[in-house]
Amino acid sequence: MMDMDEREVPLQLDFEDDGVEEDEPMADRGAFERQYADERSWEELQEDESGMLRVDVAQQQRQHRKRMSAMAGPRIQRGIIRYLFVLLDFSRAAAEMDLRPSRMGIVVDCVEAFVREFFDQNPLSHLGVILLKDGIAHQLTDLSGSPETHIRALRSNMESTGDASIQNGLDLARGYLTQIPSYGHREVLLVYSALSTIDPGDVMETVQECKKANIRCSVVGLSAEIYICKLLCEQTGGMYSVATNEGHLKELIMEHAPPPAAQAEMSVASLVRMGFPQRGAEDAVALCACHREVKMGGGYTCPRCKARVCELPTQCHICGLTLVSSPHLARSYHHLFPVSPFEEVENLASANGRQSLSKSCYGCLQELPTPGGKVKGVRLECPRCRQHFCFDCDNYIHESLHNCPGCESNSVILSQLSQ
Amino acid sequence: MIQFANVVVYNYQYLLDPKVAGIISKEMEKECVVVFDEAHNIDNVCIEALSVNIRQQTLDGATRNLSQVTQLIEKSKATDANRLRQEYSRLVEGLAQRGNLAGTDTWLANPALPQDILQEAVPGNIRRAEHFVAFLKRLVQYIKNRMITEKVESESPVSFVTALQNQAGIDQKSLKFCYDRLHSLLLTLEVTNTDEFMYIQTVCDFATLVGTYTRGFTIIIEPYDERMPNIPDPVLQLSCLDSSLAIKPVFEKFQSVVITSGTLSPIDLYPRLLNFHPVISNSYKMTLTRDCLCPMVLTRGSDQLPVSTKFDMRSDPGVVRNYGRLLLEMVTAVPDGIVCFFVSYSYMDGIVNSWNEMGILQEVMQHKLVFIETQDVVETTLALDNYRRACDCGRGAVFFSVARGKVAEGIDFDRHYGRLVIMYGVPFQYTLSRILRARLEYLRETFQIKENDFLTFDAVRQAAQCVGRVIRSKADYGMMIFADKRYNRHDKRSKLPGWILSHLREAHLNLSTDMSVHIAREFLRRMAQPYDKTGKGLNATLLSQADLEKMEKK
Repeated sequence: MMDMDEREVPLQLDFEDDGVEEDEPMADRGAFERQYADERSWEELQEDESGMLRVDVAQQQRQHRKRMSAMAGPRIQRGIIRYLFVLLDFSRAAAEMDLRPSRMGIVVDCVEAFVREFFDQNPLSHLGVILLKDGIAHQLTDLSGSPETHIRALRSNMESTGDASIQNGLDLARGYLTQIPSYGHREVLLVYSALSTIDPGDVMETVQECKKANIRCSVVGLSAEIYICKLLCEQTGGMYSVATNEGHLKELIMEHAPPPAAQAEMSVASLVRMGFPQRGAEDAVALCACHREVKMGGGYTCPRCKARVCELPTQCHICGLTLVSSPHLARSYHHLFPVSPFEEVENLASANGRQSLSKSCYGCLQELPTPGGKVKGVRLECPRCRQHFCFDCDNYIHESLHNCPGCESNSVILSQLSQ
Repeated sequence: MIQFANVVVYNYQYLLDPKVAGIISKEMEKECVVVFDEAHNIDNVCIEALSVNIRQQTLDGATRNLSQVTQLIEKSKATDANRLRQEYSRLVEGLAQRGNLAGTDTWLANPALPQDILQEAVPGNIRRAEHFVAFLKRLVQYIKNRMITEKVESESPVSFVTALQNQAGIDQKSLKFCYDRLHSLLLTLEVTNTDEFMYIQTVCDFATLVGTYTRGFTIIIEPYDERMPNIPDPVLQLSCLDSSLAIKPVFEKFQSVVITSGTLSPIDLYPRLLNFHPVISNSYKMTLTRDCLCPMVLTRGSDQLPVSTKFDMRSDPGVVRNYGRLLLEMVTAVPDGIVCFFVSYSYMDGIVNSWNEMGILQEVMQHKLVFIETQDVVETTLALDNYRRACDCGRGAVFFSVARGKVAEGIDFDRHYGRLVIMYGVPFQYTLSRILRARLEYLRETFQIKENDFLTFDAVRQAAQCVGRVIRSKADYGMMIFADKRYNRHDKRSKLPGWILSHLREAHLNLSTDMSVHIAREFLRRMAQPYDKTGKGLNATLLSQADLEKMEKK
């Protein structure tokens, strides 16, 4: 659920405020002041007849929707099956304390949240972690589908020493990524805190080779914009962003969780073989292929080679078949067919003698704002099923549920009626 | 070819230096529009065009040339006496020059301005070739005697000519014709190896200028360079003090003359220096989509001690350490390329040595590679090339350069090649130089420009020029640090050009090192955010067709 607190305005969205002129320069103020510069929530307070304070809820909600809608994109083809390497810079520069508690600490926190979100939104994908320190790249974890492995490995390896080398990191990632099947999207996310890169050879060559291998490299910087990172992102089609504070850093890393647009070269549709294993009975005893131990109960059986695996989604260790269950596919489905954004209902339009407005939200049955009523806020309408929803339900539907209850129940009712 | 071209682009000297302009630019029509671009140094160019320096080797070379000329005359008399006689009769009739010169004979051009060349007959005492050579020998001998002196002498051209007349019997009128006569003689003798005769040509230049002008020049004889008193190096300098002399013919001949530059400030000083009344004098601001400049004035180090390159403070170890720490802190905060400008080569050498002893240089090298500009062109080019490669591949580099050097005048450090420029100190000229002092006195007497004002103007102009290397387009961004406590004073700050002053906020004045590092970090983070290049509303920097039409109607 998106953070409802509108005080957290990240700096990059300051430029799209609704016509409020900024006549004072921003750098003169302190960091805390900048967060309030656009909003000035104290000025929005008004007094009603009895002298009590009231806030214009509808205005705030509209501003929030405007921000969210700017971030959502059109319906495009996306790469669902992603093989992503996260390159973390654990050099000397990561020990600096300008982001609390230290750059390394906040990066590990954000990456942990990112890993969970990544597997939540892309259950069919794989992720691996590479650390850059002492001028070399260490592979911390292999490309795998289980979030716990990565998080545990990260937490146990938190030391920052030496220099960071982009070339070594990219070479290592490229070595692994060139071995994956062609239907997978190859990606690298580099979280970089240093200001320079100490490379053994020509880093431009590495950039060209990544471009040739179709690896989409994105960079999230923590200090300032570095030319080589910008070049890398431009050449490979990735995104380069620099974080201004802790909250902004988290947002920027989370932006990479939803699948990116598919590149033109990869859009050749190919058929991918997948298996849907059955869950074994509770009293079945079998040798588990992932842990090489005898396990009681539970477990899934690969349909092709009958090996037992402990959890899904994964790749069968014996025959290499991708094993998934249908909810995983369904979760990827909503990226390709998102719920259309809801439109705001202007209260005045109802005076044209149409049917009277529904009094409660279709999703949560709470009271909706009406003209002259007590409840303030915006009223939203789904363009397909024409049901009305409140602001909170709209957020929930678009961010977590990915299904409109009105559209779902409409088809149910229609099918019931036809029986 | 020049007559057929619509647009001609060439050096200032081709239009301002009388020696060259008389040949190259005399076919330009009156209706031309002349634009002097990057004209902030135009007064210096005008002065150099009319100045001559004579050293010991010049005089030795001149003596050699004269003996060569004597031999040639003897030879020519023996083989073809006709030519010499024809020349004599021509001179009697007053035709000093023999028609148009071929385009390559630039070295034989008259150093005086066109209108100052008397259209008279060459005087009788130098018409015959042998007499002229003897005349020149006397002149060279006199100059040699004058240069043997223990102390510095300075005098005006009039007194020099008078003394010359008393001692060597050379009158002013003959001096004026030295150039013409030499030129005609060498043409008659059909001399082809013109390079060898550079020395006598310099002496004749000197003689002609001394004879032609009475005001706006001064002669200074120095027995040795004051910075190295043990090495005798006598030099006789005829230096022009008035920059309006060389540019006067340009103003008079051409219909429109435009003088433009990014650092022409203060703008009202130039009309006074060049002695003209501008029809339009305007200063334009930059329209930027976002604040991509961040100038800062740094006056003290983190320990709150003031920093400066004032002579008495230069070698103070505290100041040196503070400057070093400033560089070190900036190197850890700024990505890609940093450029540092120092006030002189000797200062740069000294401070880099001290930093090396203090260990600061080693720490800087751990973060970025260090490159230095030297007085050798090839070395500097190599250093620049490697500096750019280091910035490109992400290694990061620092470039040490000098404020009046070649790099500061011509090389751009745009985009990632220059994210920060640090101007260490105020780049004053060497104030003890006699020529400079003579010029300052002349400016004070003639134009009522105070010495301090002019020196400050010159120094701040140079600083602005150095600092302007860093921003070359609207999408570019960069920071500038003026690291000297004297920049905080109003008289220096107000001379900075408008586009720097408009971004120099009160909060960025009088900073210490840690404050400036903080501002730098904030600025870099802000500039790294995505923005709309065309700008909207107030910050519109990209005009559409409709905007242009609206502006046209107004």
